[in-house]
Amino acid sequence: MKSALNVVILGGGTAGWMAAAGLSTLLPRSRCTVRLIESDEIGIVGVGEATLPHMKNFNDVVGIDEAEMMRRTQATFKLGIEFRDWGFLGSSYVHPFGMHGPPAGGLAFHHRWLRAHQNGAAAPIEEYSYSVMAARQNRFDFPSANKSAISSTYSYAYHFDASLYAAFLRSFAEARGVIRTEGKVKDVELDGEAGNVLSLTLESGEVITGDFFIDCSGFRSIILGEELGADWEDWAQWLPCDRAFAVPSERTGELTPYTRSTAREAGWQWRIPLQHRTGNGYVFSSQFIAEDEAASALLANLDAPALAEPRMLKFRAGRRVQSWRRNCVALGLASGFLEPLESTSIYLIQIAIMHLLPLLPSAGRSDPALAAEFNRKMDLEYERIRDFLILHYKLGSRDDAEIWKYCRDMPVPDSLMEKLELFRHSGDIEQYRDGLFTLPSWLSVYIGQGLQPERYHPLADGEPVDRLVSELENLRTDIADRIDEMPKHAAFIERYANANEPTEMVLHEAEARL
Amino acid sequence: MSAVTSVAVVGRDAAAWLAAAALKRAFGASGLEVQVIELPSLLQSPDVYATVPSIRGLHRLLGLDEDIVIKACDAVPMVGQRFSNWSEAAQPLMHAFENEPPAGADVSFIQYWLKGRAEGLKVDLSHFSVGASAALQNRVPLAGEDPDPSLSAGFGFHLDARAYANLLMQFALHNGVTGRTAISVEAEVEGERIRAVILDDGARVEADLFIDATGSDALLLSRLPGAAIESWRQWFPANRMLAASGPPLSDLPAFSQISAVREGWVGLFPLRSRTAITAVYDSTLISDDEFADKLPIVARMPVGGDAIVSDLSPGMQGHAWIGNCVAIGDAAVTAEPLDAVQIHLAHAFVSHLISLFPADAEAMPEATAFNRTVRRVAENVRDFQLAHYKLNRRFDDRFWNRARDAATPQSLDRKLQLFGLRGIVPLNDDESFFEWNWAELFVGHGLIPTDYDPRIESVADEEHVMKVQARMRAVAETVRSMPSVGEVLSSVVGANA
Repeated sequence: MKSALNVVILGGGTAGWMAAAGLSTLLPRSRCTVRLIESDEIGIVGVGEATLPHMKNFNDVVGIDEAEMMRRTQATFKLGIEFRDWGFLGSSYVHPFGMHGPPAGGLAFHHRWLRAHQNGAAAPIEEYSYSVMAARQNRFDFPSANKSAISSTYSYAYHFDASLYAAFLRSFAEARGVIRTEGKVKDVELDGEAGNVLSLTLESGEVITGDFFIDCSGFRSIILGEELGADWEDWAQWLPCDRAFAVPSERTGELTPYTRSTAREAGWQWRIPLQHRTGNGYVFSSQFIAEDEAASALLANLDAPALAEPRMLKFRAGRRVQSWRRNCVALGLASGFLEPLESTSIYLIQIAIMHLLPLLPSAGRSDPALAAEFNRKMDLEYERIRDFLILHYKLGSRDDAEIWKYCRDMPVPDSLMEKLELFRHSGDIEQYRDGLFTLPSWLSVYIGQGLQPERYHPLADGEPVDRLVSELENLRTDIADRIDEMPKHAAFIERYANANEPTEMVLHEAEARL
Repeated sequence: MSAVTSVAVVGRDAAAWLAAAALKRAFGASGLEVQVIELPSLLQSPDVYATVPSIRGLHRLLGLDEDIVIKACDAVPMVGQRFSNWSEAAQPLMHAFENEPPAGADVSFIQYWLKGRAEGLKVDLSHFSVGASAALQNRVPLAGEDPDPSLSAGFGFHLDARAYANLLMQFALHNGVTGRTAISVEAEVEGERIRAVILDDGARVEADLFIDATGSDALLLSRLPGAAIESWRQWFPANRMLAASGPPLSDLPAFSQISAVREGWVGLFPLRSRTAITAVYDSTLISDDEFADKLPIVARMPVGGDAIVSDLSPGMQGHAWIGNCVAIGDAAVTAEPLDAVQIHLAHAFVSHLISLFPADAEAMPEATAFNRTVRRVAENVRDFQLAHYKLNRRFDDRFWNRARDAATPQSLDRKLQLFGLRGIVPLNDDESFFEWNWAELFVGHGLIPTDYDPRIESVADEEHVMKVQARMRAVAETVRSMPSVGEVLSSVVGANA
C-alpha cells in the first residue's frame, strides 16, 4: 500500500488555490494530501483578470460550474483582445480566440485572402473572422456544437475579479479536503544532504513538514528563489516594461466581450470589463516615464470615474530557469513574470499544474527525470509566449515616443526574427504541437500591426481568382448575417450569470432555513 | 521577384516519381512545370517497400487508385510488424500502426492498462490494440462507414519496389509530369544555387527549383556549399544490408516478420508472388558469404536467385534544402529498413516541401523552416528504430550487447526514462509514431513502467475494471468483423490471390 504524498502549498493567491483545486480534485486523497499556507495580511497580486480559453478547460476538468463561477467573480465573457495604436497610431485589430476563415485543400485561409487582397478584392481580414466580428458588435453566444458550422470556429475566455476567483477556488478546494493554515512563513528548513525542503516554520512557531512543496509565494519566490537560489533569466532587454499602475473605474458604455490594450507613450493601458466595474492599468517602463506621470496618464485616460487610488506594482520580465528544483515546484509569479499583454499569467499557472500532475512524485520515491521533463515543457511554454509578446513590441513603425523607437530597433531572439522574416516573405506561419498561440494569433498580430507579406503560398494560385473572390464575399456576408442574430454580450450575461442574482447555492441555503 | 514556374526532379525510383507526382498534383493548376530527369534505377529485383499507413493518405491525395496499386505491385496489406527473438525469453512483439488518439481524451488508456497490470491484470497490451489484434489474426482494418476513431487502426502495404516505382512513374507521366532519361548528370553550381544540370548527352536543363532524388550519394545537393551528411552509425550496429527472395507464403500474414539473429536481423515481407527478404548485419562479425549461406536457415525458407548485398550507413543531410535544391528520399535521409518508414520519409519530406513551397524563385528563406522540421521528422523516426535495438534482451551476442550498451540520443533517453517511470510518452513536434506506437514498442520489448500517471488513481475501481473489460470486448468485436488479408486481396485481384 502506497502512502499519500504530503503536499504543502505556500501562498493562497490565484496560483495557490488553483493548484489546491487541481490536486484535490484530480488526485485521490490516498495519493496526495494538500495543505495550503496563506496569510490574510499579505494581499494577493491578483494578476490575470483577463484569461485565455484554456481557463474553461481547467474549470471543466476540476468540475467547476461555469455560471456559478461567473456569478461569484463578477465575470464577463471574452472573445479576444483589441489592440489599439499598436504598430502604428490609429491601428485597431482584435486578436481573436478563433480562426479567420476555414482552411481549404490543406492551405490556411489567409493565403487565399492575401491573394484576393493583392488583387484588390478583399475586405480587411477581420471581416472573415466570426469571433472578431462578434466582438466588434459587443455580441456573445456559445460556439456551436456543430463542428462544420462557421459559428463553431471560436472559443472564449473570461474576465473576472481575480481575488474573487481565488476566494471561490478556496471554498471549492476546502470542500474537497484541502487544509488551510493561516500564517506567514519565517523559515524554510532544508535537508543538509540532498538539499530538499523539509519544513516551513511559521511566525507562530508552528512547523509544517511536507514531502513536496509548491511555491506560490508570488514575486518573493520564498522557497524556489530565496531558499533554493534558482537562477533568474532576465528578459527585460526585450520586454522593457517594469511597472504597472492598476485602478478600477465605474462601468460605462456597452459591455464589451473583449479586453482592450492601448499602446501609450511609455507602455500600454489595459481595459477589462467586469460586471460591476472596469479594471484598468498602465503597464510602463520606468526608463521612459516617471511614475507619477504614468499614474496621471492612466487616470486621464479612463472612460469613467476611478473607484480607488492607482496601486503600483513593480516587476521584471523573466523567469527562474528551473521552476522545479529538488522537491519544490514554483507556480505563477514565484516562477516568473510576463506582462499581462496577452493574458498569459493564469494560463501559465494552469499549464504548470497540468504538466505537474502526471509527473508528481510518489511518496518516498522521486526521480530527477520527472523534474527535468516538467522543466523542459515549461521552457517551451515560456519561450513561445515570450517570443509572441516581444513580437507586439518589435513589430511596428511608431516613432512618436522613445519606447517605440527603442523596441523597433532592438535585436530580438533569432527564433522570432526568423518567424517574422518568413511571414514577410511568403505569409508562412509555422505550427507546433505544444505551447500557446497558434496560427490565428500570430496572423492577427502580424497583419494588425502592419506587416503585409510580400507574397502568398503558391497553392493559393490553384483556383480562378473570380471564384476565390466570390467565395470570400459569401463567407463575409454569411458571418455578418449570423452576427446580427447573436445576443448582445450584456444581455447574455444578465440571463446566464448575473452576479446580482442569488446563486443556486444561496437559494438552497435560503430554502433550508425556511 | 518571380514565382517558381519550373521544377526539375533529378533522380530515380519511387522517391523521384513520388516527388514529381505530388508537386504536379499540388501546383499543376497554378501552372507549375515538373520535369523528371531519370537516372538508372538502383533497385534490384528482390527489393521491397514496406509502408506505414500514411501511404494510403498519399495515394488519396495523388488520386492514385488503391486497387491499381494492389494489382500492379504484387501488394499485400500490412497492419504491423512482428518482432521475434529480440529478447531471449519474451514472446514476439506485434507492433501495429495505431492511429493518433483523438485530442482532448482523458488519461490515456495505457494508464488504465498499467494500473490494471499492477493489480493483477494478465491480459497482454495487444488485446487492447485494434491494430495489433487485427495483425495477429491476419485481418485488415478497412474502415466501415463512420468509424469510431478510438477503435480504428491503419494499414499500409508490402510492395514490390520496382513495380511500385514503375507505377508511380506511369502515374506521374499520365498527370502531366514530363520525363527524360540520363546516364549521369553534372550540376552547374553558382554560389548557393544550381543554375542547371548537364546531362551525359550534353543537354542542359534549367529550372527554378531542383529536387535531388538521386539516392544516398545526393549528386546535386552534395555539390552545394554547406552540404554534409550526419552519420548515425554510432547508434546503429549494422553496416550491411542484404536483399533476396523466397517463395510466397501460402497463408498471407498481415505483417512483416522481423527476426533477430546473432549478427543482425532478418525480415520477411510477404508479397503475393514471392516473399521478399531483407536482412541487416554487421560484416565485422560475419562475412557476407557466411551470412548468405545461413540465410535460408534463419529465414526458414529456400532463398531463390542472388542475394544482393549493399552497404548500410544510416544518417541524414544536415541541411536537406540548400539554395534552390531540396533532397528527397535516400538523398536526404537513409534509415534502417525497419518500421516501414522509407516511403513514409520521402512522403513526409515532400509534404513539408509543399507546405513550405518557395513563394519566390530567387530567394528561398523557407529552407530554414523546412530543414528544422524535416530534421525533427527524421530524428523522431530514427529514435523509434533505435529503441528496438536499445531495448533488446539478447545477452549472448556481441552485436546485441553492443546495441544495448551504445549511448542513445538524448531525445530517446527522455522517452525511455519517462516511459519507464510513468508510462508517459513525451512526444515531440513532427512525430510519425504516436503514443500508443511507442508504448506498444516499449512494453513489447520489456520496458514495463514502475509507476503510472497518478491521475488514474482518481478513477474508481469498478469504473476502471469496466473500462478495461469494455475496451477488450470492443477491440475483439471490431477485429472479428474485419476481412482477412486473403478476402481483401481476392476482392481486388480475384480468387487466385
